[in-house]
Amino acid sequence: MSRRETPLLPVTEARESALFFVISALCFLAALAALTGHGTYKAATAWRAQIDGDLTIVLRSADLAMATQVTEAFNQLSTVIDSDILSREEVERLIEPSLGAGGIPEGLPVPIIITVQADTLAGSPIPAMREIIESRNLDADIANNAEYAETVGRSLALLRHVAIAIVLLLSSTAIAVIASATNAALLARREIVEVLHLSGAADRYIAKLFARRFWLLALKAGLAGSLAALMVTALLVFSGSSAEGVEAQLLPRLTLGFWDVAILLACPVVAGLAARLAARLTVMSSLKEML
Amino acid sequence: MSTYRHSFLDEPAVRMENVRLSYERTGEILSAIDLILKQGSFTFLTGPSGAGKSSLLKLIYLALRQDSGLIRLFGQQTTDMTRKQLALLRQRIGVVFQDFRLLTHLSAFENVALPLRIQGRKVESYRAEVEDLLRWVGLGERVDAAIPSLSGGEQQRVAIARALINKPDLLIADEPTGNVDPEMGRRIFRLFQELNKRVGTTILIATHSIGLIDETEASVLHLNHGLLVKSDLEGLYR
Repeated sequence: MSRRETPLLPVTEARESALFFVISALCFLAALAALTGHGTYKAATAWRAQIDGDLTIVLRSADLAMATQVTEAFNQLSTVIDSDILSREEVERLIEPSLGAGGIPEGLPVPIIITVQADTLAGSPIPAMREIIESRNLDADIANNAEYAETVGRSLALLRHVAIAIVLLLSSTAIAVIASATNAALLARREIVEVLHLSGAADRYIAKLFARRFWLLALKAGLAGSLAALMVTALLVFSGSSAEGVEAQLLPRLTLGFWDVAILLACPVVAGLAARLAARLTVMSSLKEML
Repeated sequence: MSTYRHSFLDEPAVRMENVRLSYERTGEILSAIDLILKQGSFTFLTGPSGAGKSSLLKLIYLALRQDSGLIRLFGQQTTDMTRKQLALLRQRIGVVFQDFRLLTHLSAFENVALPLRIQGRKVESYRAEVEDLLRWVGLGERVDAAIPSLSGGEQQRVAIARALINKPDLLIADEPTGNVDPEMGRRIFRLFQELNKRVGTTILIATHSIGLIDETEASVLHLNHGLLVKSDLEGLYR
C-alpha cells in the first residue's frame, strides 16, 4: 500500500483565499501599469523617431511655381534629406479640425506648406533655409517640430516614470501584504510550528514549508492576475486598433508583443519569489523568538 | 547521525546546576535547581499544581531558556549551542506533552512518523517501523485514523508513539496518564519501564499518580514552590 504524505501545513484556510484575491488584484494592477508604461515608452519612441528632424514651412505669399523652386533649393542642402510640398488634399486634412469637414471654401487663401525632413546628424538646416526664403523675398514661417516634440516627449517620459513608480509601489505593497499574511499564518499555526520545532525540525526546515506554501499561492494568484491583465489588454488592443493618426500615436498604446508577454509572465514569478522571500524571512525571524 | 548523538556514557543525561527561571507575570517559578539524571535512569517528578514541574520539563526539552544556571544534556552545555545544534539535540529527546500536541490534520500514522519525516526519511523506509509501534501501543487497527476521531486515551498513545519512534535517548512525559483510565495508565507505565529496561532510555515523568509511582522502583523527585526537594543526587542513580 502506498501512502501519500499529507502536507505538514494544513492545505485549506479561509484567510488564504482572501490573500489569493489580494495578490491577484495587485498583480493585475502591476501588470497593467507595467504594460501601460511599456506602451507609453514605445509610443513615445516611435513618435520621437518620426518627428525628429521634421520641419514645416508655411509660405504665405508664394505661388506653386515659387514654392517648387524653394523646395528644389532645400533639396540641394546637405542638411536636408527630403522636402516636399503638401497637396491641397493634405492641407485640407490638416486644417479640417479647425474648419470642419467638406473642404476649404472657395476663395479662402490657403498657404502653401512645405515639409522638410532634416538630417539631424548633419546639423540644423534652418539658417540656410532662411537664406533661401529671404533671397526670394517670401513671407514664410519655419516651424521646428522637434521643439514641441521635446515638450510632449518630456510628458511621455514623466508618464513612463509614473507607471514604473506605480509598479514599484504595487510590488512593495504586495510584498508587505504577503509578509503580514505569513506572519498571521505563522501565528495561526504556532502550535504546528512548536511541535515541528520540538520534534527536532531546524529553522530552515520550517521556513521552507512556509516559503513553499506562499510561493505556490502567490504564483497561482499572480497567474490569475496576469491572465486578467492579458484579457483587458487584448480587449484594449482590439477595440483600439481602429484608432488612427495623431490620437493613436499620442495615446499610450497597449500591444501584445514579446516584451508585453514577458511582463505578463514575469508578474506571477516576481510575486511568487517575493512571497517566498517574505515568508522565509518572517518565519525565520519569528522562530528566533523561540529557543 | 551527527556528532551530537555521541556523548560520554559516564556523563549524566541531564545535569542542572543552580538553575533559575522566572516568568514576567508570576515571578520566580524555579529557584536554584540542582539535578542530575544519569543515563538509563527512570525518574518521577511530582509536586502540586503550579509547583513548576512543566517549566522544569520545558527547560530540559529545550522549549525554554533558564534565567541563570547551567544545563548540560548528554554532557553538552545547551547555552553554547547554535540553533542547528539545538535542533539536532532535540531529535534525541522524545516528549509526551500533557495536551498531546498532535497535528489534527494528519493521521495517527503521520503523527507518529513526524520526527522521522523531519529527518528527511522516506515513507517506505519507516512504514513498518511506525505500524509496529502503533500496534505496540494498541492502535494497530487505528493506523490511518484521523486524530479527531480518536478517544483521549488513543490520542495519548499516539503522542507516546510519536515520542518513542525516534528511539530517543531521553524521554520526557508531562502527565502522560492524565487522560486515560487507571488500567491504561498502568499499561503506559509498563511500556515506559520496558523501554527503560530494554533500550536503556532515560525517562523522566511528571505525574500526580502516586499509586502508579508506588508500583515502580523508580526514583522520585518532588518539586514544591520552585524548589526541588528530595533531590538526593547520588540516590537518584540506579
